Amino acid sequence: MPGCRAQPAGLAVAMLVDFEVIERARKGDDGAFNQMVVAYRKRILGTIARLIGRPEDVEDVGQEVFLRLYYSLDQLRTPEVFEPWLYRLTVNAAYDYMRKQRRRRESRMSDLSEQQVMMADASAGGKERQEEVRRTQIREFVQSLLGQVSEEDRALLVLKEVEGLSLKEMEKIYKVNENALKVRLFRARQRVLKAYEEGKGVGEPED
Amino acid sequence: MEYMERKLASLWVKYREACPDPEPSSEFMPQLWERIEARRRATVSLLFRRWAEVCVMAALALSLLVSTLLIPHSQRQPVYQFTYLDVLAADNLNDDAVVLPVVDVR
Repeated sequence: MPGCRAQPAGLAVAMLVDFEVIERARKGDDGAFNQMVVAYRKRILGTIARLIGRPEDVEDVGQEVFLRLYYSLDQLRTPEVFEPWLYRLTVNAAYDYMRKQRRRRESRMSDLSEQQVMMADASAGGKERQEEVRRTQIREFVQSLLGQVSEEDRALLVLKEVEGLSLKEMEKIYKVNENALKVRLFRARQRVLKAYEEGKGVGEPED
Repeated sequence: MEYMERKLASLWVKYREACPDPEPSSEFMPQLWERIEARRRATVSLLFRRWAEVCVMAALALSLLVSTLLIPHSQRQPVYQFTYLDVLAADNLNDDAVVLPVVDVR
C-alpha cells in the first residue's frame, strides 16, 4: 500500500496526460487510450475506494469506469472537459455499485466486518499492526456514517470533503450551478451530522 | 453543534489518510481489455441479431402486403376474361366470310 498523499486527489491536480493523447484516444487510438488508463487508474481507484468503501470491489468498479470511458469517448466534445467527464463516469459507476450493494445488504449482514477480523488478531502484531487497525476503524466508522445517507449525498460529501474538489470543479461534474450545489452539500452535511450526533456510526475510533 | 461539525471535519481528514489510493494489480489492464473486447463482440453480435430481426420483419411485412393487397387485386382482373372460342370468334369477325353452297355429295 502506498503512503498517504499530502494533497487530496481531484481536478485541482494537474492533468495527467496531454490533450493530444486524449484527442488520439477519442479518434480510436487504442495505444493512446491505454496511456490514459495507466495515467489515471490509481487516482480513479482511490476515489472509488473512498466512495464505495469495499476494497475488494474497487478494481472491478474501476474497470467498469474505464470500459464506459472507452465506449463514450467519441461523445467527448473537447479534451479540456476530459477530467470532469471521467469523474462523472466514476461517480455514476460508484452509484450503480452502491445501489446493487444496498439490495444485497441483507445477505451480507452476517459477514464479519473487516474491523472485527483485524481486531481478532491485532494483539499478535506490533505498532504497525495497531496503526492498521486504527485506520480500519476510521474507514469502517466513516463508511457506516455514510451508509446512513443516500448514495447521492455520499458521493457529494466524498468528492467535496475527502477528495477536496472545489465547487467550480463539482459544477462541471454535476452540471448544476454553484448555488444549487451549495444547498445540496449543506443538506447532505446536515444529514451525516445528525447520524453522527445520534451515534449511528458503528465503532467510533478514539482520538 | 459546532463541536460536532469540527469533529466531523477532522474525521474527513482522517478518513482521507486512512484510504490511500490503492495500487492497481498486475491483472488490471489485461482484465480491462478483456472486458472491452467482450463488449465489442457482444455489440457486433447484437447488431447482427438486430439486422436479422429487421430482415425477418421486412420479409413478413412484404408477404403480408402481397397477400392483402396485390393478390385480391390481381384476382379481380383475371388474365382470361373470355373463352378460347370467344377470342377465336372475335378474331374472325372481320374476315370476309365465304359462304359455300350446300352440295349434295351423294
